[in-house]
Amino acid sequence: MAEQPAVSRRRSSASRRKPKKNQIPFGVALVAIVVAIGIALGTKNPTLALFWITGICFGAILQKGRFCFTASMRDPYLTGSTSLTRAVLMAFAVTTLGFAAIKYGYAAQGLPMPGMSYVVPISLATIIGAFMFGIGMVIAGGCASGTLMRVGEGFQMQIISLFFFTVGSLWGAHDFGWWKYNVISKGKAVFLPDVFGWAGAIALQLAIIALLYIAAEKYEEKRKND
Amino acid sequence: MNEVIIDCLGEACPVPLVKAQNKLKEMAIGDVLIVQIDHSCAMKNLPEWTNKDGHNVEVEEVDDGEWEVIIEKAK
Repeated sequence: MAEQPAVSRRRSSASRRKPKKNQIPFGVALVAIVVAIGIALGTKNPTLALFWITGICFGAILQKGRFCFTASMRDPYLTGSTSLTRAVLMAFAVTTLGFAAIKYGYAAQGLPMPGMSYVVPISLATIIGAFMFGIGMVIAGGCASGTLMRVGEGFQMQIISLFFFTVGSLWGAHDFGWWKYNVISKGKAVFLPDVFGWAGAIALQLAIIALLYIAAEKYEEKRKND
Repeated sequence: MNEVIIDCLGEACPVPLVKAQNKLKEMAIGDVLIVQIDHSCAMKNLPEWTNKDGHNVEVEEVDDGEWEVIIEKAK
């Protein structure tokens, strides 16, 4: 390797530009504002403060972790990389345990389980809807959380995505009654612990996630060797 | 040695990646492709793919929220 790669020989175009602004003062000011709003919300309603903090944390993790649900579904095909796919599967595994623990905690005491309104019927509509959502999020460059995160980053094109995401959500909410009555309610709601028992449901779900994880890893290997 | 610049400013991912993949196919070994991006996630998937495909790659933040991905075609 006598010759240096062209990449490092190339003169940076950064030197032609104006120097970057120091962002640290803005960061400090932003943290101060976030804390101040948090305290203000907390004195009025502690739940609001909790939402504020978890929302900010989710945003920061999404942005800094470059976590992207869209890329997790798209990159295996485009780049052959399944690192984000596996990250999402990992997150599913963690949430499986977390939600099962919360729900079991309530069920064991004979209390009504929280979040049971999300156990909704599944049918062909689920698959068609998921497929349409998949097409939409790749074109829009982000799913719901990804779009919000990138609007926060200042990516202007995605403000358009956010606008139409809102329009679509409102339209969906407007017609949801019809869909629910005519399509969704025709399906069957399945709550896995009712079918397999708590241990069985958790084991089954984790096993499926593990299989998908292995499949993702094998797929990446295969693509690398092609 | 050719140097090609593609302007992907304002393009959401995966557009910069696909454009770079297509451009790189037409280029000769040793040519340098510079992809200008301002979409932060292209900064991750573009170098990831290029590394995997076996090219030399470097990312440079030329301005706040604006990057240049410099790719040297190696094979």
